[in-house]
Amino acid sequence: MRWVGPAALVVALLVPLAPAGGYQQYVVQVATFVLINAAVALAWDIQARTGQLSLASAAFFGLGAYAYTMAALRGVPLPVAFLLGPLVAGAVSLGLGVVTLRLQGLYFAIATLAFAEVVKVVFKELPLDLTGGAVGLTAPPLLGGHQTGLYYLGLGVLLLVVAASLAVRHTRLHYAFTAIRQGELTARVLGVRVVRTKLLAFVMSAALTGMVGAYATSRLFFVIPEDTFGIGLSVTALATAIFGGVYTTAGPVLGAIILRILEEGLRLVLREGYLAVYGVILMLVILYLPGGLVSLWNRRSRDAAGGG
Amino acid sequence: MNKLAVVLVVVALLAMAGTEGMAQREQVRIGISLPLTGPASASGKAAEAGYRLALDEINKAGGVLGSRLQIFIEDDGNLPAKGVPIFTKFVTVDRVHAITGIFGSAIGVSIVGPAKLHEPLIAMLGAASPLVERGFEGYKYLFHYHPWAYHNMEAVFNFMDFVRTGTGASTIAILYEDGPFGSAGVGDTRAELIKRGFDVPFMESFKSGSGDFTALLSRAKRHPVDVLFWIGFDADALPIAVQSREVGFKPRLIFGTPASWPIGFEGNPVARDVSGMAGWTSASPLAASKEFVKKYQAKYGSLSEEYMAPMGFVTLTTLAAAMNKAGTTDKDRVAAELAKTDAETPLGKLRFKPSRLTPSVYQGFDSDLWMVFQFRDGRRVPVWPKSMAAGPLAWRWR
Repeated sequence: MRWVGPAALVVALLVPLAPAGGYQQYVVQVATFVLINAAVALAWDIQARTGQLSLASAAFFGLGAYAYTMAALRGVPLPVAFLLGPLVAGAVSLGLGVVTLRLQGLYFAIATLAFAEVVKVVFKELPLDLTGGAVGLTAPPLLGGHQTGLYYLGLGVLLLVVAASLAVRHTRLHYAFTAIRQGELTARVLGVRVVRTKLLAFVMSAALTGMVGAYATSRLFFVIPEDTFGIGLSVTALATAIFGGVYTTAGPVLGAIILRILEEGLRLVLREGYLAVYGVILMLVILYLPGGLVSLWNRRSRDAAGGG
Repeated sequence: MNKLAVVLVVVALLAMAGTEGMAQREQVRIGISLPLTGPASASGKAAEAGYRLALDEINKAGGVLGSRLQIFIEDDGNLPAKGVPIFTKFVTVDRVHAITGIFGSAIGVSIVGPAKLHEPLIAMLGAASPLVERGFEGYKYLFHYHPWAYHNMEAVFNFMDFVRTGTGASTIAILYEDGPFGSAGVGDTRAELIKRGFDVPFMESFKSGSGDFTALLSRAKRHPVDVLFWIGFDADALPIAVQSREVGFKPRLIFGTPASWPIGFEGNPVARDVSGMAGWTSASPLAASKEFVKKYQAKYGSLSEEYMAPMGFVTLTTLAAAMNKAGTTDKDRVAAELAKTDAETPLGKLRFKPSRLTPSVYQGFDSDLWMVFQFRDGRRVPVWPKSMAAGPLAWRWR
């Protein structure tokens, strides 16, 4: 099944060129938001592999978005402003991680959720000429707002997150992350520096999420605290990763592709109640496939290996 | 041979005439993006009812450009990530001749980019944020029907002047939701009220939909005021009215400005004499409004109190009228006709003028749209301005 990744990449590269007739630009728009959802979900999954349930994705996404917008509006060249997204989100997560990563389970989740809310309130209350307050700011578009160009940039952003995920998966970090998830005490006995490793996962995830935030803002052209730091983004990241399959690279990406296309498709054919159908499908997968959609694939692989 | 040539010419002419006729009868398509789910869905659904009522009326009267008008209604959930693809779909897949709906500032600002890319004719229902107005700078095809935030505030100030001169009220507490709807210019609002002779001893933000105002209202109680002015959403109306009583906070007037009120609020005893600002009520004495109410009841068998219902109706009827007057779907010519709109509507007189912050944008209703009503005996009774009032302002909330 080694062909799946390269094949998916070829399909992704061909999306703007696909002979979709009148649907082409619409398809590119939907695909762009699939890329954003996939990148946020996968970035969330990277830190989740240490067993930490973070609800701060929205905070780091928003920090990246605001860093890009505020810098760009002050005349910083757009590519530099774009790089500030991951830098600011990463730096802030380092401070947050040092304070919170000794907390366990639910306490850590609540701390990250509270942090996301605090950041939102701070950005609302900062002086108007700095952040635009509750009304927000308009952001200059990257690549002159060129749709196809922005799609490929979004694909590049996702590929960077995928590369980071694969790097974790194929190095000793994978064992360290997994050991921590399965039991911190055992991990310590095995020589894993638990807090430092958790911090690395947390910062890596935050920086990647900040990069997605900067990208998404350059695509949507605005930041508003209520939306940009909206808790819905954290919940979507979590649900997407669980739907596709947590602790994997393919799972969150597959989850984003299917959920977004499913939602758009349902909306087109079933205007009334499409969200109810969407919710039921999401619930059924979570209930009956705890390993997410990729577990079907893994099951097939196991069956094949066992001669079944 | 000559006869054959004549026949061929005649056939060719007939074919050309037929093509021309078909072109003229090409169905006019309008895309409508509305929040049919999510926190703004009460307004979105009210607008949808208005649009559908207008569609019936337009098609009964012969449609647009000789053909039945076709509409595509999509649910954007008030989420930019949904609204942007919907906007693109309207332009590229449905190939609509105009886009309308677009309710709420987040959706309004998120479509700035796609709009500038495709440049469709937009009859925007309503977004109040200056971010939207400034975002559309230089855009020639935006007709914004709803007042902007500063228009809303002007109406509030005028009403407060009326309260001050009529009752001697001099103190106001302001509670505002901490999103763009409640927070836009709230500092300027306070400054303006003080300039107009009010004392504002208490002003604080709240999280809309949180449902618990007891701490906030208990703090407000330390500053006895004549008026409690709150800016938030429908979900906040009931807890504010109930919990004000519970904590013993007794302003003489509770005045709220949500975009819509909770369903059934008027029937709740706590609603009595709570006042609000509305673009319209079914009790409006305007002839066009009475006509609208009659048509609405005939189609739906019920009555709407949401001003987004007539707003949707007015938006589609004026857009269709402009297309018929232009005799084409060409956006420049339709825009030119729409700019000349001078119509008596259920919401009052509609004329477009250059928008204040962004003169390239055509602005429809302004602060004159708003009236103030009080909930009384399960109804909304207009109390201000005088021309619309069906009763006096009750100055006795408790």
